[in-house]
Amino acid sequence: MQQENFSPQESLQLIQSMIDKTRRNMGDDSKYFLLWGWITFIAFIGQFVLKNVFAYDKHYLVWLLIIPGIIISIIFGIKEEKNRKVTTYLDESMKYLWMGMGISFFVLSMILSRMGWGENIFPFFMLLYGLGTFVSGKILQFIPLVVGGLIAWTFAMAAVFFNYDYQMLFGAAAILFSYIIPAYMLRRKNNSSLIN
Amino acid sequence: MEKDEKQLSEQESLRLINEMIGKAKKSYVTKGVASIVWGVLIVVCSLLTWAQIQYKFDLGFDVWLLLLAALVPQIFFSIKEKRQKNFVGHDEITMQYLWATFGICIFILSYYSSRVHDDSITSLYMMLYGIPTFITGGIFKFKPMILGGVICWGLSIGSMFTPLSIDMLFMAACGLFAWLIPGIILWNKYKKQESCNV
Repeated sequence: MQQENFSPQESLQLIQSMIDKTRRNMGDDSKYFLLWGWITFIAFIGQFVLKNVFAYDKHYLVWLLIIPGIIISIIFGIKEEKNRKVTTYLDESMKYLWMGMGISFFVLSMILSRMGWGENIFPFFMLLYGLGTFVSGKILQFIPLVVGGLIAWTFAMAAVFFNYDYQMLFGAAAILFSYIIPAYMLRRKNNSSLIN
Repeated sequence: MEKDEKQLSEQESLRLINEMIGKAKKSYVTKGVASIVWGVLIVVCSLLTWAQIQYKFDLGFDVWLLLLAALVPQIFFSIKEKRQKNFVGHDEITMQYLWATFGICIFILSYYSSRVHDDSITSLYMMLYGIPTFITGGIFKFKPMILGGVICWGLSIGSMFTPLSIDMLFMAACGLFAWLIPGIILWNKYKKQESCNV
């Protein structure tokens, strides 16, 4: 049986290529960041407009947008799982990270439904946006996600000084910097690396 | 210089990777020491807080400051280990950032709770405890920690329906199931492995 020899440099290149491959997969997964980023961004802005411009009582109903988001994510996930041939260590890390984040968002919603949705709820969500994107950025060695996480935390701390209405705008800004912009950058980076 | 580099066969590469994994397994975190320290502290601080509420006395200081004391040995061991090691595994780096992020979130939540006084904050702490525990358990395929994370989330939801004193007992249970018990299991495994290597 013929064995292929690796120099230490080649071994490192192999490991780096695995990271790049996962980052590319993650580039495909940027659709999740974009899906949830845009849904959340539209919900924040929509709620702000409904409440402050149209003075609509049930402004919070805009958050029902997350239901189609969950359905679309499940469809994406099932399709991907069928097509996946290899699962790398980074894939596994990202899987558990976002599974944990998903459950936490659910638990947080349960807690807030008990605490009341009135005041000071959005900083908690921003805290979790930051957690997920910061760790993702470090795992994938992708700086815009790390920076996005730091920005989300900064907004989470700053939002405490503002009332409920303005917290929505902080939330929209946090999701823009932590999900939407890094996801487009990741997609563009991976598209250009595929061309090269 | 590159020409002088030793060529590794596939088998040798695999052996090298295995060695790296073996080294990583001996780390402070995977030995379970950190987990045991945090577990004990969370259990003790929660029970002391519960006792103060239940029996109406005041220790005269915030018992949760004891958590800061745990940082000292953790930093000491981390620095010591970093000096001894010439290799850091990818999983270790992930763990470092995951737990550092958890620390940042706990800090932000503490800052928040200092501004907004609400007993429900304890539920949020328990929710946060579940996140790194569940992810660590998943990445290392270590079921006691996965279970520990899920228990934290369950207790977090349960604590919304209970008074603060009972929340503290839930918090102690979080420390026990998320860190102390998994830490003891890891420590026993490590000791067993070490005795096999002798």
